[in-house]
Amino acid sequence: MLKIENLHATVGGSQILRGISLEIPNGEVHAIMGPNGSGKSTLSYVLSGRDGYEVTQGTATLNGINLLDLEVDERAAAGVFLAFQYPHEIPGVATFIFLRHALNSVRKARGDEELSTPDFMRLVKGKAAELGVKDEILKRPLNVGFSGGEKKRMEILQMAILEPSLCILDETDSGLDIDALKTVSQGVNALRSPDRSMLVITHYQRLLDYIVPDKVHVLSKGKIRHSGGKELALELEKSGYAEFVDEDAA
Amino acid sequence: MTAGTTIQKTDAELGLARQFDETRANLPGNDWVREQREEAIRTFARLGLPHRRVEAWKYTDLRSMLKDAKTPADADLNSVTDAELYQALGADLHGLGAHHIVFVDGVYDEENSFIIGDEAGLVHMTSLAETLNNPPEWFKSNFNKVNPRQDDHVGTLNTAFMRDGAVIEIVKDARLKRPVHLIFISSSKSAEAITERHFIHVAQGASATILESYVHLRAPDTQRNSVTELKLETGAKVNHIKFQHEGAKASHLSNWMVSIGENANYRGFQLTIGAKVSRNTINVNFHGSHSQADISGVALLWDEQHSDTTMDIVHGVPNTLSRELFKTVLDDRGRAGFQGKLVVKPDAQKTDAKQMAHGMLLSETAEFDAKPELEIYADDVVCGHGATSGQLDEDMMFYMRQRGMSMDTVQTLLILAFVGEAFELIEDEDIRAAFTKMAEAWLGGKSDE
Repeated sequence: MLKIENLHATVGGSQILRGISLEIPNGEVHAIMGPNGSGKSTLSYVLSGRDGYEVTQGTATLNGINLLDLEVDERAAAGVFLAFQYPHEIPGVATFIFLRHALNSVRKARGDEELSTPDFMRLVKGKAAELGVKDEILKRPLNVGFSGGEKKRMEILQMAILEPSLCILDETDSGLDIDALKTVSQGVNALRSPDRSMLVITHYQRLLDYIVPDKVHVLSKGKIRHSGGKELALELEKSGYAEFVDEDAA
Repeated sequence: MTAGTTIQKTDAELGLARQFDETRANLPGNDWVREQREEAIRTFARLGLPHRRVEAWKYTDLRSMLKDAKTPADADLNSVTDAELYQALGADLHGLGAHHIVFVDGVYDEENSFIIGDEAGLVHMTSLAETLNNPPEWFKSNFNKVNPRQDDHVGTLNTAFMRDGAVIEIVKDARLKRPVHLIFISSSKSAEAITERHFIHVAQGASATILESYVHLRAPDTQRNSVTELKLETGAKVNHIKFQHEGAKASHLSNWMVSIGENANYRGFQLTIGAKVSRNTINVNFHGSHSQADISGVALLWDEQHSDTTMDIVHGVPNTLSRELFKTVLDDRGRAGFQGKLVVKPDAQKTDAKQMAHGMLLSETAEFDAKPELEIYADDVVCGHGATSGQLDEDMMFYMRQRGMSMDTVQTLLILAFVGEAFELIEDEDIRAAFTKMAEAWLGGKSDE
């Protein structure tokens, strides 16, 4: 379970998060929606520990572990996984080598044995097949020259391999056509599990047709302004954010 | 310089002149060789050690770096065991299945040298000392003429002091499967100057891999001056590779002079890990059309190491191609310079020349300087160059660490990827794998600090 209380954070000296409180119990998927500049991506970077994002107040724990005390890789080992809006290209590092280092780093930190190369290859090829990722792409440098859809599928493949307890999906739908969106959503849905919580950050309601959330939160100016069930997303699609954002004026 | 100005000689310059007087009688060679030496030392007296106002030495002020001239190594062989060679080279380079030609402190070590029987008729090796005592006509007409440069300060010192080296002939149409491994090992406990000269002739249609390894056992502060003259005849193909891992206080002055004939293919590579100061000069001349040169290298530097790669590629005939790719990783106060001169002469139409040099800085105090120089006198040519200097990408590092990898793992993967692009240009898989492992070990050594 992810538990965030009164989280404040600054980026380059400006206050971006202004007191976020949020609980995502295991097994649940929560969506965060909000206009540009509301702090959605900042929240994902603060939770994953990116440099330059400074927490000034509040707490964030995952299954009782204080995330804010941990380095980026320690948070990953503790179960935080961020699916990037724009996954980085890593020239010169073959995808399967990247995946093997990631998995074995996480396994080591969690006290598990590192996987042998044959066991690792079996695992990756199995998961890749489920997501429609071709073996051939695993030999190429990670994300280099991949299409938008291939990059997002690769993010989900990494998620499937690393088995995190918190998945943060940052604008996963951006740059995807409808077919790719379906495949990626199916991949995400297959990873829904009673011991995993998910935070889906999105600008548009479209993604939530495929990844149906248990709860929807509206983020504006660094604070959650409104929360509701999955129907809230549809309302937002019709009325826009204005109604919820205006509450801020008070 | 205006007439009447005299430049104060440095201790090293005075020392070199004195040492020449003291050792000339003991250096090998007949009268013809002695004349070459005398002329060289006269030229050196005029030129002195190069300094930063000499354009080709802009990044390496040898005049101030070379504080003193070490005593020349003597002509006696300091024997080493094969186990010591193994220790200095590492298992991978020792185990290449190559022909071994070994020099200990600059002197040919016949005991440890061998040409393996299955290729014995294809490679002929004579020591330079022996050749100088009785130089054949072909040697006289080629020596110092493969690719000479005017006013070559360090080259003249080499000619003046050369004691030994390898004179190699790869016979016509020979296709060597085994690398020819020239192993230069410094073993002396005291600091010494070693001057080596090699002449390699690759006859028409022959192909070979020639590996030069400069390694040390004990000697931490050797001063080495090594010149390789390499001539590729029509249709020859050579993979010419250097591994330099000299002692931490050593200076390594190396000059490759390469002449490429028609339809010939030259692939050069240099891995620089050792020495306090290293200078890699690579001069290439195209003498025949439809020929190609691919020259690349990796330097891994830390502490206060200084390395300079200076190239001079001359396209003198039509339809030739050259490519250069150099990658340098610098930590601590490491410093590297790269100078790439490309000359395209008026007749050299259809020249295709490209050059890239990249530096990766791992510390705030490291420095990488790159200077391309293009002199193009023909109009129908494609020439390009590029140089970058940068740090590891923060966004990439965050992405990889978010996947659970430690900072060390991330740095190792990204640096290996950076240098890997150059290693991939090495055709010999075993040498490529050995060099990659050395880069990994270098990175491992860093993280143990």
